[in-house]
Amino acid sequence: MELFLERLITGLTNGSVYALLALALVVVFRGTGTLNFAQGELALFTTFFAWWLTTESIPVWIAIIASLIAGFVLGALIERLLIRPVQRRNDMAVLIVALGLFTGLNSLAGLIWGSETKIMPSPFPNGIDDYVSVGGARLYFDALGVVGALVALMIVLTLLFRYTRVGLHMRAVADNGESATLAGVRTSRILAIGWGLSGAIGALAGVLVTPLSPQQLGLTTMFHVFIAASAAALFGGLDSLTGAVVGGITIGVLEAMLTGYVSFIGGSLQQTSALFIIVAILFLRPNGLFGTKRLVRV
Amino acid sequence: MTTIDETAAPSAAKHGATRGGGPKGPRFLVVQGTLPYRGLQLAAVVLVALLLLWASGLPAFRMGQITNVFIIAIAIAGLNLVTGYTGLLSIGHSAFFGLGAYTTGILIVKYEFAPLSTIPVAIGLCFVLGLLVGLPSLRIHGLYLALVTLAVAVSFPEIVRRAEDLTGGAAGMVVRSRFLAPPEWTGLVRAERGIWMFWLSAGVLAVVLLLCRNLVRSRFGIAMRSTRDNEIAAAANGISVARTKIVAFGISGAITGLAGSLFTMYMGALSPDGSFTLMKSIEFITGLVLGGVATQIGPLVGAFAVVFLPYLTASYTEGPLAGVVFGVVLIVIVFLMPEGIVGRVGILARKVVRIVPADHPRLGRAPREGPPEPAHAER
Repeated sequence: MELFLERLITGLTNGSVYALLALALVVVFRGTGTLNFAQGELALFTTFFAWWLTTESIPVWIAIIASLIAGFVLGALIERLLIRPVQRRNDMAVLIVALGLFTGLNSLAGLIWGSETKIMPSPFPNGIDDYVSVGGARLYFDALGVVGALVALMIVLTLLFRYTRVGLHMRAVADNGESATLAGVRTSRILAIGWGLSGAIGALAGVLVTPLSPQQLGLTTMFHVFIAASAAALFGGLDSLTGAVVGGITIGVLEAMLTGYVSFIGGSLQQTSALFIIVAILFLRPNGLFGTKRLVRV
Repeated sequence: MTTIDETAAPSAAKHGATRGGGPKGPRFLVVQGTLPYRGLQLAAVVLVALLLLWASGLPAFRMGQITNVFIIAIAIAGLNLVTGYTGLLSIGHSAFFGLGAYTTGILIVKYEFAPLSTIPVAIGLCFVLGLLVGLPSLRIHGLYLALVTLAVAVSFPEIVRRAEDLTGGAAGMVVRSRFLAPPEWTGLVRAERGIWMFWLSAGVLAVVLLLCRNLVRSRFGIAMRSTRDNEIAAAANGISVARTKIVAFGISGAITGLAGSLFTMYMGALSPDGSFTLMKSIEFITGLVLGGVATQIGPLVGAFAVVFLPYLTASYTEGPLAGVVFGVVLIVIVFLMPEGIVGRVGILARKVVRIVPADHPRLGRAPREGPPEPAHAER
């Protein structure tokens, strides 16, 4: 029972991180209809940036805020300078640019900061004794912090989309860019804000996951998170915030249970099982569980 | 999806230099099937043969690099069929490459097959894997299909590591060089494996490029291109879009698997993290985009670029810089030269020489009484 609870908690924590990055993917997809392949590597880059700040003896909270800002600026710049010019041409061009960013950002982080593993300090107390006991299982504060951050972000995003002007405009642009433009929405600014927002969310996911991750901060840390997050986003249909969160947590828990109880999968087929979930979902429900069906007009 | 099309001519070529305004079209027209056309073809073949003979005299290291280029070119030619001509972005071709390579490796090491006789098996298995990967395209489009191919690319090394008994797991697999000696009928001894692999890869590449050219021009090739350009219109014209995509994936995978099979014979050592990761897929895509998407010899030009680019940059540092270069090159090419090197050269060349079929309207031979051409030629 204890073991089960501990695995459940691990699953929930990992799931929250997947959900965070999945939210970033969903925000971009809703705005531009593109899956940002570089989302994970963007988060990796900003996390390295935060780590570098902490080595310059800057408090970890300030480093995190700085990395969120860096994520926002990078995201917005990427949209404006790299994505928008080729967006009109075709999907493939956008995908190839994203792939270029994927390799480029990862290698650039390695080039600047070296490929050896870094220890990223956690913003939450994370000593051996910093836990509360729930039914015999240990619930560490830093894991709680991640779940808390996800809940807070969900609330902020919901408020943003529902009650602010920018949020309204973002929904309008996602729904129908041309009509939104005609109604006076500054579409291009909204798109840049959307990418910036997702860059910041990704940065948050990065700084929260690395202290928990077994690999700490290395060049491959975010790749698995990205794979799981895209599975989560697909699970929810790529355009639903709720779907991304439900998907993220489901995949986190499933993963923890599968690796814990199914010995064949063990620790070595983790990614494959996440990807198997992606393919299965795409087969059974191409629009995900919460997604809206897309109609094509001829 | 892709807008690059080898039949799209610069607008000036459509209307000739018939009415005033100076020459607008290409200076020379070469008619298909005539003597000058055959002459040009023959000259090209002779030139290629001379280049190959010259390259086979290079030092062993250089010749090995060129062999590597040929193998990568075969893999990219496979990718070109599905990504270039059918418009489905695949980031999973490293898995086909790996499956081909491991099939050959395992058959040679465990079952003592002769190297060449493993090729059909590798092609067959990769064809089947290609059909399986293409299968989701029945329901899934564009972006989502790219994710499925991503799944394949990422899973492959994990599965290889897991299937330790067969593949040697993470430690890798070594094919002893005595298994890889050139066959007896070539008259080459074991130490001459380099030259054997060079000519074998060159020959296979030539056959593959020819087959791709014919395939693209065939009825099925037209189906592929129309699926790419407008899926709905293609379906409305009676093309089975799903079947076209699935079969295209199968053929594409088979060709890339063939490249993998040759790769094993060339390298003699395989490891899951070496050449069969997502990075390899990105290398293929970089090569394809750089050489020219949906062009006939783009894969070869692109393969030269991706093999030699890291060598050029490696003089500064190892590893990460090559990744940065690939990333930057991909983005720059998409921005500045979306038609790739071969595509751009083709456009420039068509301003001077253009190859036309025998019934081309600009040839004075058979004047047509069509609708009068507008007095102002386009542009």
